[in-house]
Amino acid sequence: MIEFHHVSKVYRGVKVLDDVSFAVEPGSVTGFIGPNGAGKSTALRILTGLSRATSGSATVLGGPYAELDCPASQVGTLLDAGAQHPGRTGREILTLGAMTLGLPRSRVGEVLDLVGLTARESRRTFGGYSLGMKQRLGIGHALLGRPRVLILDEPANGLDPQGIRWMRGLLRDLSDSGCAVLLSSHLLHEVEQVADHIVMIGRGRVLAQGAVDELGQGRSLEQTFLELTASTDRSAA
Amino acid sequence: MTETVTPKTVGMATSETVAPETTGVSTDDTATDDVDTIGPKTADVHRAPAPIPFHRLLAVETRKLFDTRSGKIMTGTLVALTLASVIGRGVVSGPQLHALVGAAGIGFGTLLPVLGILTVTGEWSHRTALTTFALEPRRRRVLAAKCLPPLITAVFASLFAMLVAVPVTAVVAGVQGVPATWEIDPLALLGWTGTGVLVVAEGLAVGTLLLNAPVAIVICLSTPVLWSVVRGLGTTGEVLAEWFDLNTTTDALMSGAMTGGDAARLAVSMIFWIVIPMTAGVVRTVRKEVT
Repeated sequence: MIEFHHVSKVYRGVKVLDDVSFAVEPGSVTGFIGPNGAGKSTALRILTGLSRATSGSATVLGGPYAELDCPASQVGTLLDAGAQHPGRTGREILTLGAMTLGLPRSRVGEVLDLVGLTARESRRTFGGYSLGMKQRLGIGHALLGRPRVLILDEPANGLDPQGIRWMRGLLRDLSDSGCAVLLSSHLLHEVEQVADHIVMIGRGRVLAQGAVDELGQGRSLEQTFLELTASTDRSAA
Repeated sequence: MTETVTPKTVGMATSETVAPETTGVSTDDTATDDVDTIGPKTADVHRAPAPIPFHRLLAVETRKLFDTRSGKIMTGTLVALTLASVIGRGVVSGPQLHALVGAAGIGFGTLLPVLGILTVTGEWSHRTALTTFALEPRRRRVLAAKCLPPLITAVFASLFAMLVAVPVTAVVAGVQGVPATWEIDPLALLGWTGTGVLVVAEGLAVGTLLLNAPVAIVICLSTPVLWSVVRGLGTTGEVLAEWFDLNTTTDALMSGAMTGGDAARLAVSMIFWIVIPMTAGVVRTVRKEVT
């Protein structure tokens, strides 16, 4: 449902992505992991048509995101939980999304319940939200149109342990119902318990990919992650 | 737990009964209760998702103008300033309807272009472009939906000023015991309204080009001063101002008596301040990397 074909991106003279190829199948959760600055966000922005690849192509549901009719009703995205107007209430942010997608207003209440934001919290302005609340709101926004594909950039960032557990359950339910989920993280722990597949990226290159149990190969996944990223970590440069 | 659990029942079990090593799906209750509200729609619904109609984008962008604190303050200020300037002018220069309507233009000339600038730059200063363009990747349509509400607001603001000026004229006439002057020049009022719309369009165009609210506001609000400097430079300066200063070229429009030459000068200044920056701004926005 999501496919990256040899995607490369040069931004201001720097090769941010280098020949990235991988796919996400329906009914699966793919964890996109790598250290900060590895190119995860850039890849997800290219996938959602917000940024352009220098070469190669990224498609979702068989075509470029920007060419889908009303893409957000089929592909839910959370690209940056903090990127909202601070003076707007959480409820208003969801209402704008629901209006754009032509959904009934009742969907806003459903989504608020789903992500565990109370009616009272939803009436507070976004500027006063904790990072965890922003993430919940952003996940709710992504789920507004009941998408078949979910693209989440660092969704666990700022969530408390309870929130992370809640999110795992949510993503598991979604993939069980046939959704394809792609989520990025710089923390392996957040991903390995929920993902079926892992794509590891460092300095713009895919370092390893495969099923979670295969990648481990007896050793812990973390060891693999650390070894693969050690040579590309900024501290090692 | 001895029996095998299907994914569906795993979620219903409490977390203690699920063996952690067999599954990463131990969940709390909230997530699984809501499969109905999170699951994808049926295939039928997905087959033909309709593109977002323009009227919906327009409704959303109009709502965004007024749903933040700054938007509400802006609207309140516009209303208060209109009332204050119309009443103030009435008290000072007597019950003359036409003059009273025109008095509202002082506030409009500054606030309306700022409203336009903030509308088109706001998505970038708050990084909401990320959400907006993910919902509707056809950025030209979003821009069009963004530009219309401030332009319509300019028309409504003019109508509001006229509506307020009538009772104020009557009251001032009654209080001061002077006969009211009700004569208005419909063409001049139309030109005045049109000028308000053009000034907003200038703000939208400069804002879209620069995508930086403070710089765009300074440019739009300081041009009258800059042009008076240019005009002082001699004949060449005067000719330049005559053709390129939107404030000068709209004078004829506001007087309600335009000649062919006036129309040509207005057109040239509109191309310079509205068409060119807007075209360049649209190209810039469509190509821009959203980060």
